[in-house]
Amino acid sequence: MTKTLIGQRVLRNEDARLLTGLAQFVDDVEIPGLLHAAFLRSDHAHARLVGLDVSAARQRPGVIAVFTAEDMGADWAPGPPLVSPPPTAKDVTFHSRRQVPLVKDKIRHAGEALAVVIAENRYIAEDAVEDILVDLEPLEAVVDLEDAMRPDSPRVHDDLESNLAAHLFQKKGDYDAARQQADLVLRRRILIDRGAAAAMENRGIVADWDEKSQHLTIWDTTQAPIPIRNGTAARLGLSENQVRVIAPFIGGGFGPKMMMFYPEELVIPWAAKKLKRPIKWIEDRRENFYATTQERGQVHDVEIALSKDGRILGLKDIFLHDTGAYDPYGLTIPLNTQCHALGGYDIQNFTTEVSVVFTNKTLVTPVRGAGRPQGIFVIERMLDAAARELGLDPVEIRRRNLIPPTAFPYEHGIIDQAFAPLILDSGNYWPVMEKALEMIGYATFVRDEQPRLRKAGKHVGIGIAPFVESTGVGPYEGARVTVEASGKVFVATGVGTQGQGHFTTFAQVVAEQLGVEVSDVRLVSGDTAEFHWGTGTFASRGAVVAGNAIHAAASIVRRKVLELASKHLETPEDELELEGGRVRVADIPNRSISLAELANLANPLRGAVEPGTEPGLEATAYFGPRYGATAFGVHAMIIEIDPETMMIEIKRYVTVEDCGTVLNPLILEGQIHGGVSLGIGNAYYEKLHYDENGQLLNASFADYLIPSATEMPRIEVGHMETRSPLNELGTKGVGEAGTIPVPALFAQAIENALADRQLEILESPLSPNRLYELTSRKEAG
Amino acid sequence: MKIEGQYTFDGPRPILWELVRDPQVLATCLPGSPSVRKTGEHEYEGEIAIRVGPISGAFAGQLSVTNEVPPASCTLTVEGKGKVGFVKGVGNIDMTDQGPGKTLMKYTGEVQIGGKVASVGQRLFDSVSRGMIDQALGKLNETLQARSGGR
Repeated sequence: MTKTLIGQRVLRNEDARLLTGLAQFVDDVEIPGLLHAAFLRSDHAHARLVGLDVSAARQRPGVIAVFTAEDMGADWAPGPPLVSPPPTAKDVTFHSRRQVPLVKDKIRHAGEALAVVIAENRYIAEDAVEDILVDLEPLEAVVDLEDAMRPDSPRVHDDLESNLAAHLFQKKGDYDAARQQADLVLRRRILIDRGAAAAMENRGIVADWDEKSQHLTIWDTTQAPIPIRNGTAARLGLSENQVRVIAPFIGGGFGPKMMMFYPEELVIPWAAKKLKRPIKWIEDRRENFYATTQERGQVHDVEIALSKDGRILGLKDIFLHDTGAYDPYGLTIPLNTQCHALGGYDIQNFTTEVSVVFTNKTLVTPVRGAGRPQGIFVIERMLDAAARELGLDPVEIRRRNLIPPTAFPYEHGIIDQAFAPLILDSGNYWPVMEKALEMIGYATFVRDEQPRLRKAGKHVGIGIAPFVESTGVGPYEGARVTVEASGKVFVATGVGTQGQGHFTTFAQVVAEQLGVEVSDVRLVSGDTAEFHWGTGTFASRGAVVAGNAIHAAASIVRRKVLELASKHLETPEDELELEGGRVRVADIPNRSISLAELANLANPLRGAVEPGTEPGLEATAYFGPRYGATAFGVHAMIIEIDPETMMIEIKRYVTVEDCGTVLNPLILEGQIHGGVSLGIGNAYYEKLHYDENGQLLNASFADYLIPSATEMPRIEVGHMETRSPLNELGTKGVGEAGTIPVPALFAQAIENALADRQLEILESPLSPNRLYELTSRKEAG
Repeated sequence: MKIEGQYTFDGPRPILWELVRDPQVLATCLPGSPSVRKTGEHEYEGEIAIRVGPISGAFAGQLSVTNEVPPASCTLTVEGKGKVGFVKGVGNIDMTDQGPGKTLMKYTGEVQIGGKVASVGQRLFDSVSRGMIDQALGKLNETLQARSGGR
């Protein structure tokens, strides 16, 4: 290789388009004759739908159609399961209940869609929604997780015996025996509540059925266009080739935009085909608050057993997980919680049991972190409690329990979210922690600065939280790399993009192989007409799975380039090098041929392509890892709390990430910054407040606080590299790393800052208000 | 949401009771120019315009009066819905003599709201409802004074 592009701070290829407003988003799609949709949504969280009178709405001038569940006839069916159902095993119970396109008989959460109006414009559609008369019989709502599990609770799904959606028990070793030998056993109840993903761009979809070509084009804010294409074709009885799904630029995914088959994704393409007219629906912010999926609600009863020198002998975690009204996403989130409750620690005895609970609240599916922040919060809270009890430094207790570098691959003995054995592929954890300690100046702060500042009356605290992140899971992704006649390179891959910098990192991977400028690599992602094999962008898997598929395809093209150039230049391949868009003989720089010339030679207009060969400098390749790569990281921060207002000022924020090979540090840092911002919201500002009737009480940015620039600290990012042995590039994912440990970090730093109050934090999210309540309660005794 | 409070009226209890039991009078006291029609001995229906912060709209609903112990106490049940959501409430009113020409009214209630009025207006609903109650009670006291003034 003549030039190393991997690991360079290459500026983003896509920024010029994004910053000048030339990038296409779903709402930018305009088609002559475009109609607009608005949905009638339930005000009640739980109710029997008695009837809908849509006659007045249908008569409103400008209304083209109004559809209810009844109008969908035989086409009405719940959405497909989004992940494979769990295997049938004796310790697994799973009741699959999926969201419906429009409510037919029973409303199961506030905001569920009851009817859709298609009109000449959105104004008319919204007015017509208000013309619809709804007759319903309100039912008592199921909101609290523990109440939901009582035998006399109302039921979200009448055909089930209870609100239990799933139950899963896992164990390794023998917790009870470990407990017997323990010097210290601690029990805690830990509560974690919901937050919103709150992407800057809400959801949207445009569907255009062309009757003459019998072809459906869909622009969708989805993270997974290929599953949406395949599922839509199946539902509408079309060939997959009759459906093209384009996921253009998207203003943030964060999980809720995965292959959800939201009601709108089921209804809008159906209506467009039925009416033979293009239809657009763009979600408004209030709809986003209760019709877009959410995450994090869990109640944990945890017990940890330790020796007196702080070694973890065993952990037992029994918890409830809130899945909302339906559970299309299976057990992904609670399984992630189970796996991450072990952190990066060597824990030999572990018992974990989850009951997944249906409630009359918005559906729960992965939101950046996807069960991992809860698991990390649980183990880190328990370790902080244990350190206090044992009189150990919080860093020291962690050092004593981290998995040693010699233990990799480390097989945990439980199953992960893919129902495969949980194996941590590689890592070197303690040096990452050491680097974070050094960057934040832990020793000096604890020894000198904190005592000095405390003496001056300041409530300053430090926190340091390590975490693991399972990333880069299968099944596979693919890519096609082509050297075009211009000598520039075109890459198509199936994963969509929502701001991750794919146009640059993937271009770097290709440019490295083919010796071209990064800016000469043009990438199309998330358009099924360009590439239609793969799943999507989620689970921190883009750089790992699609990245390695692109690397594989580019490597094959490189071989083709060298083979052809070798013939043309009459030089053995190993004496050739690729640089500046040309292939040269290493020692004789003026003996060279450009990629453009080679591309034309490979695609001749006359003569014959030899039998058994293919024209063009093009290759398609796929990559599927044996199992997911596990990244590791440590976040540390120093805060000062104003004890009057409980506002927190973050004085220093340090992260050190080991996500294997770094493709582009600039983009990696961007990912971390964004993740930390969501994490800070999760930890200290954002909480979705549901009342006892299942009404969401803060469904606007006036009441739901997301961190803004003023709450964001300057983030110092450090890197360590332990290559993953599971893929050629050695990459691990980093998409969720910024978010995962932040609630645990906040809890630790707050306890440290308020050490004089001996406060123990057993809940997340917190807020200035909530922290004030907790400290007041503590003072009141 | 729970509502609780008390108010001392400048008039005798029997007259206050008559006013309270006459929803037409109540309607004139409430802001939002409500209309009321009697549909049964203890049932009424009507409409009212409500504004909670950025949310405003008309609510249509029913009012029923139960557990009457004249001239002392009763239970009012309200159910209303509109384009911006729904409101359900149950309230108890309890009146006692408070010296000459004075009546103390204690009220407790439970209100449930849903839809846009809850999800966007919740933060303001508490103060808006308190304001409406205060305004209504003040107006009711003025009516009471006018009606009992001659005695």
